Amino acid sequence: MALNSTNALYARRRWRNKIATMLSIGAAGFGLTWLVLILLVLVVKGVGGLSPSVFTEMTPPPGGAGGLLNPIIGSLMLTVLAVAFGTPLGILAGTYMAEYGRYAKLTEVVRFINDILLSAPSIVVGLFVYEIMVAQMGHFSAWAGAVALAIIVIPVVVRTTEDMLLLVPNTLREASAALGVPQWLVIRHVAYRAARAGIITGVLLAIARITGETAPLLFTALNNQFFSWDLNAPMASLPVVIFQFALSPYDDWQQLAWTGALLITVAVLGLSILARVLSSKKVLS
Amino acid sequence: MSLAIHTEVKEQPPTTPATETSGELKAKVSVRNLNFYYGDFRALVDNNVNLYKQKVTAFIGPSGCGKSTLLRVLNRIYDLYPNQRAEGEVLLDGENVLSAAQDVNLLRAKVGMVFQKPTPFPMTIYDNIAFGVRLYERMSKSELDARVEDALKRGALWDEVKDKLDASGLSLSGGQQQRLCIARTVAIRPEVILLDEPCSALDPISTAKIEELMDVLKQDYTIAIVTHNMQQAARTSDYTAFMYLGELVEFDETGKIFTNPKEQRTQDYITGRFG
Repeated sequence: MALNSTNALYARRRWRNKIATMLSIGAAGFGLTWLVLILLVLVVKGVGGLSPSVFTEMTPPPGGAGGLLNPIIGSLMLTVLAVAFGTPLGILAGTYMAEYGRYAKLTEVVRFINDILLSAPSIVVGLFVYEIMVAQMGHFSAWAGAVALAIIVIPVVVRTTEDMLLLVPNTLREASAALGVPQWLVIRHVAYRAARAGIITGVLLAIARITGETAPLLFTALNNQFFSWDLNAPMASLPVVIFQFALSPYDDWQQLAWTGALLITVAVLGLSILARVLSSKKVLS
Repeated sequence: MSLAIHTEVKEQPPTTPATETSGELKAKVSVRNLNFYYGDFRALVDNNVNLYKQKVTAFIGPSGCGKSTLLRVLNRIYDLYPNQRAEGEVLLDGENVLSAAQDVNLLRAKVGMVFQKPTPFPMTIYDNIAFGVRLYERMSKSELDARVEDALKRGALWDEVKDKLDASGLSLSGGQQQRLCIARTVAIRPEVILLDEPCSALDPISTAKIEELMDVLKQDYTIAIVTHNMQQAARTSDYTAFMYLGELVEFDETGKIFTNPKEQRTQDYITGRFG
């Protein structure tokens, strides 16, 4: 029988294909709509409050004029510290799991626990650090906030490092081992190099994740009305300030909360795009 | 007569197998009673074979017969994986490389290997060669440059890449990548080179280049090649081993294996009756 569009079987298949395509497009569109709406609302509400003073002045008392300088700097410091703690630990653990201990029982156990940690509610992490640091020290501190964020960073980095290293073909490891290269050099010069873009992407995604975390900071770094470099003292951060200001009855605080939310979202969006660009870059060095 | 070759190789190694007239033939590598296991599966059964100095030895046989496995024992690359173990002896210049005392990295520097699929490292062409060299030798930049050039010339790749040594090794074509891998192996000056189906992913022109290369390289090295291509085995090798179901059925001069094999199974395979 000649194959043409009047063939019943073929016509039915074409219909099914059309329906499936439409459902998929619909679902994608549904998801995208909310993202666009969120961004739209943020821009509409937040842009009005954008002015140089946002970046140069401290958070104001109710009714006063001010900006978001202290929470911006605070967020940056907390993030840098958390990444500085969490990334090396996460990369080393992921390296153990994918390279040295690939066939070890311990790896399976660590992977399982890591997956739980990965999806642990961040408020639990906050409470945990409150208990082991804040309660022991007797006061809230930026250190505690950084540790709480690091605990969120670690499982993300462990997971991506392991996954990315597992994607490096074994033939590459065999080829380097066949030259007489010791394992740690194979990892450093060949496996890391091949997985570099993926690992960096994982770190960027971890940063994006903690940039918006509020719950772990409420119990640890708390907040600070004023600018502070002191890591032993409470420190302001954008998510906590947004949380506090958005709940307040004051119009100018609410405006600052919208602006802060816009700043965080733009930062996360930027990081995600950067991660995207990096991970699509295939050829390295 | 069926076990004659086994016995000959086993009992009067390595200098005077009955088939060789010149007295100069020296075994660089001697495999004795080698058994190999993947978990419980016995992939090699009492293998005995020699790799002679400055000769090319081809391993032929149907898929899954253990050719590659045998090659992977010779430089202990199987050590990378759990549940794989070898029993018996592999003598390199008389020393058993399977002993626990053997430093595998030093062994692999002496027994180089080129794999079926080209495996350039994700670095520049220059660094692909220099990487292994730097590990074992300290040398000046100019010495290293000369070494890289020499290796690329031996790999018959120099003319094609001399102007782009800083390009990524991954930017080369498949045939070029494989020659890069051979050059990389040659650069660290091994004593034995193992080629595991080095041409199976290559076009005829690249294959011809690599075969020419083997002819040149065998003047300095001991070479073993696993191949599915019987013409290739016949063209390139001095000795041929036929393997079947983990057994090393017959080992002799290539000419004899292809014209007058002693074993029925060898004859059947050569003539295309199975495999």
